[in-house]
Amino acid sequence: MPTYETIKVNLFLIRYKDTWNLNSKEYLHAVMFIDLIQYDVIVVGGGHAGTEAAAAAARVGAETLLVSQKIETIGALSCNPSLGGVGKGQLVKEVDALDGLCGRAGDWAGIHFSILNRRKGPAVWGPRAQLDRQRYREFIQSELLSTPRLTVLEGSVEELFVSEPNPEEPGHHRVTGIRLANGSHPISASSVVLTTGTFLSGSLFMGQSKSPGGRIGDAPSSAGLSHTLRERLGLRTGRLRTGTPPRIVKDSVDLSLANVHPPDSHPTPFSFLNTHTHCKPEEQLPCYLTYTTPGVERVVRESLHLNCHIQEDAKGPRYCPSIESRVLRFPGRRHQVWLEPEGVTSDILYPQGLSMTMPPDVQLRLIREIPAMHRAEIHTPGYGVQYDFVCPTQLSPALQVKSTQGLFLAGQINGTTGYEEAAAQGLWAGVNAARCALSRPTVALSRTESYIGVLIDDLVSRGVTEPYRMFTSRAEFRTSLRPDNADLRLTLKGFEEVGCVSIVRYQEAVRVRDSLQDALATLQALALSTQNWRKKLPDMRMSEVKNSLLTGMDVLRYNDVSFEMLASAFPECLSHHMEFSQRLKIEAVYRPHCNLQKKEIERIQKEENMSLPQDINYLTLPVSLSHEVREILDRVRPTTLGAATRLQGMTPAAIIHLFNYVRRTGQKERRSHRNKPDQREERKYLDIFIEVKQ
Amino acid sequence: MYFQVGLADAETIFALSSGHGRCGVAVVRASGPASSTALRCMTRLTRNLPPPRKALLRSITDPQSKEVLDRGLVFWFPAPHSFTGEDSVEFHIHGGPAVITAVLHALGSVPGMRPAEAGEFTRRAFQAGKLGLTEVEGLGDLIHAETEAQRRQALRQMSGDLGRLYQDWSHKLKRCLAHVEAFIDFSEDELIEDGVLNQVDTWVCDLQAEIERHLQDERRGERLRTGVQVVIAGAANAGKSSLLNTLCQRPAAIVSPIAGTTRDIVETALDIGGFPVLLSDTAGLRESPDLVEREGVRRARERVDQADLTLVVVDCAHLPSDAEQAATFLEGHLRSVLSPQEQSLLVLNKTDLLPEEQRLELDWELRRVSGLPPVCHISCHTNEGLQDFLAVLHRSVKTLCGDPLSCAPTLTQARHRAHLQQCFAALAQYQRYRDIDLALAAEGVRLALTSLGRITGHVGAEEILDIIFKDFCIGK
Repeated sequence: MPTYETIKVNLFLIRYKDTWNLNSKEYLHAVMFIDLIQYDVIVVGGGHAGTEAAAAAARVGAETLLVSQKIETIGALSCNPSLGGVGKGQLVKEVDALDGLCGRAGDWAGIHFSILNRRKGPAVWGPRAQLDRQRYREFIQSELLSTPRLTVLEGSVEELFVSEPNPEEPGHHRVTGIRLANGSHPISASSVVLTTGTFLSGSLFMGQSKSPGGRIGDAPSSAGLSHTLRERLGLRTGRLRTGTPPRIVKDSVDLSLANVHPPDSHPTPFSFLNTHTHCKPEEQLPCYLTYTTPGVERVVRESLHLNCHIQEDAKGPRYCPSIESRVLRFPGRRHQVWLEPEGVTSDILYPQGLSMTMPPDVQLRLIREIPAMHRAEIHTPGYGVQYDFVCPTQLSPALQVKSTQGLFLAGQINGTTGYEEAAAQGLWAGVNAARCALSRPTVALSRTESYIGVLIDDLVSRGVTEPYRMFTSRAEFRTSLRPDNADLRLTLKGFEEVGCVSIVRYQEAVRVRDSLQDALATLQALALSTQNWRKKLPDMRMSEVKNSLLTGMDVLRYNDVSFEMLASAFPECLSHHMEFSQRLKIEAVYRPHCNLQKKEIERIQKEENMSLPQDINYLTLPVSLSHEVREILDRVRPTTLGAATRLQGMTPAAIIHLFNYVRRTGQKERRSHRNKPDQREERKYLDIFIEVKQ
Repeated sequence: MYFQVGLADAETIFALSSGHGRCGVAVVRASGPASSTALRCMTRLTRNLPPPRKALLRSITDPQSKEVLDRGLVFWFPAPHSFTGEDSVEFHIHGGPAVITAVLHALGSVPGMRPAEAGEFTRRAFQAGKLGLTEVEGLGDLIHAETEAQRRQALRQMSGDLGRLYQDWSHKLKRCLAHVEAFIDFSEDELIEDGVLNQVDTWVCDLQAEIERHLQDERRGERLRTGVQVVIAGAANAGKSSLLNTLCQRPAAIVSPIAGTTRDIVETALDIGGFPVLLSDTAGLRESPDLVEREGVRRARERVDQADLTLVVVDCAHLPSDAEQAATFLEGHLRSVLSPQEQSLLVLNKTDLLPEEQRLELDWELRRVSGLPPVCHISCHTNEGLQDFLAVLHRSVKTLCGDPLSCAPTLTQARHRAHLQQCFAALAQYQRYRDIDLALAAEGVRLALTSLGRITGHVGAEEILDIIFKDFCIGK
């Protein structure tokens, strides 16, 4: 446990954080001091995953240390200056609902807000914002500094300490702490969260040159960590690649040759706590849209022999590909290039869609083939990165390495791409690292209740073959998992069961839930005949005449009826719910569909409640399973019966045999505790006949 | 194939639960809340249900057409005193295929009724606590057997014209879904042509029309092959065609001493001890440079996969003379011909060419090896051992016929029909929401694909993403 003095140092830093200089002596003092003590949780890496992990661990109640190579890059947006989008916006809303940082940081730093997919239905709306890089970083850093129980330390991790496992828990190793590169003392911790991004054996590519590193301008991470993961812990790794575009000098671009793309006139904040964004509506900056030309394709083809990155065979994403792979895969087409602002005072534009790895002089030639950039100058050239990831099927749904007690991984190290995917995993890994350190059981999110659950379940039960990105089409229950209801889905649970949500946010969510329930009950109780509805709402087109009464909910479902119309028709009982008019309309439209999904959701949740022992030897398990099924189970080691049923190649019979086995062993254990087996409890798991691919 | 229960517990299921073959009485069973309705409207018992668990002789009529289908015994088992613990009814009707088909069809037209999935009755019984511990332990194997039978049955149907039709629909639906999903997930950032949804509209419209036509024309589709599917397989020139000819007592297949004489499947309908059997002779399994023969071998393997029972024919003369080596060879040979856990008989042909002493030694050795199927020695040349072989074959076929799923294509047909109707209804949801809420419209296409997927196989999110990335250049 940290001493009183350490906390005092932290408080000191908090108090003076406005005038706090990152390189000041006070800061260095803190670094020297904390070297001597022990933490509950150490988080390695200060990107989107690391910052969320550290903040979440501290919120849960763990004494937490965040170690980052460079304090000043904590919270940096390494690639695109934007947050959210279709699918990704849902993740931001969910991270916010669990009291994470990125939603509020986005509201603070956003300079261009828009809801994508506005005309396609609220379930797939994609809240998105362009960000001011500097403001975003500042917000994250100041949040971390004001988080109690959290200490930030600059340093590069040289070694991960592991020891014999705790015999009462599954696993072959136990993590005990880290050692920094500068040779200082070991720092011990019960849990360690690794969020090393692209730094694990990372290499940077530009033209024909290749150098070690995970991001330009930063030192490469030590080989020691990578060695420990692979050799000492025996983790399987793979290699992926990504890239970033050159940054363009804003003044050198002829923006009159691009199409202006304005933001929403009323910016919608990401966070459920915010009613408005920091940026005023009229102060928002536009984006610009332009297109590639045949000249771009020509330059790519002519410079292929100078481009190592493209020739290497590490797996890159099919989405967010480099301009090289775009023109090679779809020749003869024009491709979109978005020119995005990097900040209010920034003189740089970010050309979304022009990620490239050719030599800098060719990069310049290429961008000048685009009319709006015919005289453009490059501020920083683009480059490619190849890096190791740990095959995520080796993780539990708590994002803990199954073989190593206390070791958690989040972000790109798990084979994902994107800030939002990283933040979501970071938060969840941080929560569980803290719970683990505080001897509380780990928790899992179901794919039936959140995109975070979909993300983690996809990762740990299916693994990745290319950088994983979230799409709404990955969520089979997306009409239930909407951006508008993330608070109801997660905030209450986050407070009551997980412990990562503040009381203030919880109380707000309770207020919202109660008001919505009240309003929905009122709407349901409003039952009128078709004729009476027509009198009340003359503007409504109600073609069919029904004999039965229609409730307010039924009517609100009509396309041309808004809650505002109902509230003005029934001001006495509905007008005080105007605050939630949009949410009520969405709820009315989706509720019948969500009710249809409910049974399916409950079935999956039941299966997920039935855990499979982690120490099962599937190859020798004395039940009748085919060799193929045994191998699949042994490779993936699903943590629940639900996860097992979703594996490719499982059969209904195999599931039943597994079910019987688990039930039998469970009974034996219960008998040894001299308790009678609870038959009802068993029957809860009867719906074991699951959609199984044959 | 899908195995989806749990969701549908409020639904009432029905199935033919007696065996197939030449039987006088067939039993059709239904379980679930709508059982009593079904019983009432099919027996015109307007007021009272029959006394529980007592036989009652009634005319059984089609609730829609009012046509009398058969006269038979009906039983009413109110919950919880039934096999499944739910309200159940049984119809004991005449065993002819026409009557069975008509009754199953009539049951399917009662609201809330659908054909049972494999193992579903057992599962409900399990759920209601009606199964003993040993029965529960055996449940996995039971389910395995039933799903296997259903899989084989589905495979048979899917290999014909009907299968091609369903596959084609499934393919179109996948593209529809992929294009709608691309429009949802990517169109804000990407150049996805505005025409994408119009294209989907056209596809959905066409599909709906096709499915509707198909559902209305009940006689369309192919004649279903009934009977236990027995396939003769083995190496080239082992005497497979001779066995077929011996069994059907007429030269249905050309036999010659030249290896590779049979190149395509030769099929014969047989009656073995009163049970319908569809016997197929296949090309000898061997590597061949000949294109036609290679195709024959491919078809042979496909047919073995669909078989209820495979007769693996081996030429005795080609066995190693050492008994132990011969046994090892046979084990390996069976593994190469059969897929795991497939039912089979091992037929050692040309036994007349083997010295008596060697044969006894081999017999003794084979009995020691566990996991081998029943072994028969025959000679198609001298008819030696044929009677014993027929007795073993008869026993196997009889066991297989006890399983209603292995030879009742009508049941598969009824199941397909139910899924197609769901698919059709789900496509209407797409059209209803197309301009209002694309997420709900996409949900319609997704449901349609899930319904069709219960016939043609599961479609996962990754497969849809694959199509998206193939059809569109997604940049961001």
